[in-house]
Amino acid sequence: MAHRLRHAVPLGFAVLILMTVVIAPFYWIFSASVKAPQEIIARKPTLFPQSFTLEHYDKLLGHSNFPTYLQNSLVVAFGTMVITVFLSTLAAYGLYRLRFPGRNLLFRVILITYAFPGVLLLVPLYDMMSTLGLVDRLVALVIVDVTLAAPFAVWMLQAFFRTIPQELEEAAALDGASRLGIIVRIMLPLAAPGVASIAIFAFITSWTEYIFASILIISDANRTVPVGLAGIIGQYQVDWGLLLAGATVTALPVLVLFGLVGRNFVEGLTAGAIQ
Amino acid sequence: MRNNLAKSIVLLVIALLILPHMPATAQEKVSITFWHMEQPPYRVERFQTLIDEFNAANPDIEVKQEAQNWGEIYTKAPAAIAAGNAPELLFAIPDFTPILRDLGAVQPVEDFVAELDAQHKFYPAAVAQYTYDDHTWAVPLWNMAHSLWYRKSVFEEAGVEVPATWDEWLAAVETLTKEGQYGIGVPANKQLYTDQTVYDLMINGGADEIYNPDGTLRFNNPQTVEAFDMYSQLYRFSPPDSPGWTWGEAEACFANRTCAMILQFTVITTYDTQAEGDPEDLGVAPIPYKEGVETPGTISYVNAVMILTDDPAKQAAAKKFISFLLEPENYGRFLNAEPGLYLPVTEDGSTAESYWNDPLVVKYKSQVEVMLDNSTSGRLFGFTGGNTFPSIATISAQNLLAQTLQMVVIDGMSPADAVEEGQALMEEAIE
Repeated sequence: MAHRLRHAVPLGFAVLILMTVVIAPFYWIFSASVKAPQEIIARKPTLFPQSFTLEHYDKLLGHSNFPTYLQNSLVVAFGTMVITVFLSTLAAYGLYRLRFPGRNLLFRVILITYAFPGVLLLVPLYDMMSTLGLVDRLVALVIVDVTLAAPFAVWMLQAFFRTIPQELEEAAALDGASRLGIIVRIMLPLAAPGVASIAIFAFITSWTEYIFASILIISDANRTVPVGLAGIIGQYQVDWGLLLAGATVTALPVLVLFGLVGRNFVEGLTAGAIQ
Repeated sequence: MRNNLAKSIVLLVIALLILPHMPATAQEKVSITFWHMEQPPYRVERFQTLIDEFNAANPDIEVKQEAQNWGEIYTKAPAAIAAGNAPELLFAIPDFTPILRDLGAVQPVEDFVAELDAQHKFYPAAVAQYTYDDHTWAVPLWNMAHSLWYRKSVFEEAGVEVPATWDEWLAAVETLTKEGQYGIGVPANKQLYTDQTVYDLMINGGADEIYNPDGTLRFNNPQTVEAFDMYSQLYRFSPPDSPGWTWGEAEACFANRTCAMILQFTVITTYDTQAEGDPEDLGVAPIPYKEGVETPGTISYVNAVMILTDDPAKQAAAKKFISFLLEPENYGRFLNAEPGLYLPVTEDGSTAESYWNDPLVVKYKSQVEVMLDNSTSGRLFGFTGGNTFPSIATISAQNLLAQTLQMVVIDGMSPADAVEEGQALMEEAIE
């Protein structure tokens, strides 16, 4: 008993520190977002709000274009997530299983594109989107975000596919499953943690993307959250309450996605696959 | 009857052939897109009110605003120009204009500015920041100038007079630094705010000219070294987090009484909404100067609007809109999109009822008067002494004044060595 306690106490303490480090910034942002402006910038910061107000949320959601930005971000992020998962799954499976000339080269090229600084593509990409008539259109952001997320997603998913025994596929093939059937019925359920990971990765990549969204989108009606929020908080006069309320609302979809997909979805699918 | 019918048909056919090639008629609206970088919702709303009024009074023109961000406009505008999507009107600060002018996108407007000057009388310094290479490249719209902000009660309690000279300033800062309070808040971030505060000290140390008249750099001179030395002395009494500051953090430091003084364009909105909001206690003064300096002053940014279209009909519509904004009955409302920050650049605008009757301006009238007075001695690095050198855009974009300061206050170099290194960096940048 004493031996177990000797291990449990330091472990518990370490977990507590880790949780504090992870949760504290979220708590700080949220708690400050419900403080009065004077308390937010008070000389001595308060751990618990001494004043409680929802005025910053009212200003954010009722008197700014933030709800529009939120809606746009959701459309772009979900679009990016779905397309990235679809393309990356097929690409990763193809690179992992199919034998064709230049396979290794193609795989390396995909990795190189991920290493290439996207910011260098700003002007040519703007020019390209302009030629296609996609400037100031959300679809332009989906295209860009998919190109940002897909290379890493392919690489990650390919690593997941490698862990799946080839015999399972062969058995399915003997039972008459088609290539697509093998992907859908065998590979995807077994690689579910990987699929969930790349889905979250694609969503967050798109949700937080700033540079291309700021250049390719011109009108306020099509702005996404990172760019829209940066604009409404001001430059010379920063509205700290608005900034904190915006940060809280911005973090929510990501937290919800992690809560839903990151655990339940992965656990449920992998458990089903193993059975 | 048949002849009439035939004539009518012929006329109709001719009309159908000619009409598409005719210039815009009264029915065809001329569309003007206006990019500005004033994104906070209340500023956009105020601009929209004025745009709606203009559009209603001018049914043949449709002005549309699109708020952009200063952070991206340096990339976005050239990209839009290259792709043929540029707006007809684009806001500017002096060191942004040369970048677009070099792309051949900016229309000269000296004749139009002369027309407006005859009606409203521009302050000469406002036009000067946009006049070089034999042309004027933008129409001034408002000015922003730094001042020294303080609380009268804090000074009274410490027995400190408002400093006028550097010696008085250092003494005041030292006296005011006590438990929980720093005598002054000055930034040391490699960012525009630091460029601005450094230049405040350069102006008031007699080092406002960065260029010689022939365009060579004269940054490395004894006056600049003294200004950097003074800044480093003030910095010792600034909060420890000031190396990461931009304007917002400095204002928060002042609003929560941690900083007894700051250099800022304005603190009025923040002081009114996030601090005491007592106009009797809010002090504003000119930035102290080194004794013996003949022309003290402050950094000032004249914000202007560039015309990017070469289409005559669009140019005419754009000019009509700018004229509308500068009419005294509209101009004050335009400036008060951010009361107490945007200062008039025309004589009739400075006395316009529409400017002075805004509730916040009424409340802080004495402070606004001092700000206006300070702004008349405003200047901007690279745009002084009747010489304007567009290469300053490169120096400004790389925040080389701030970088030089960091060598002193963060890396511990001597001001003389840092200024020498700073000039070398500037020469390399503009090569």
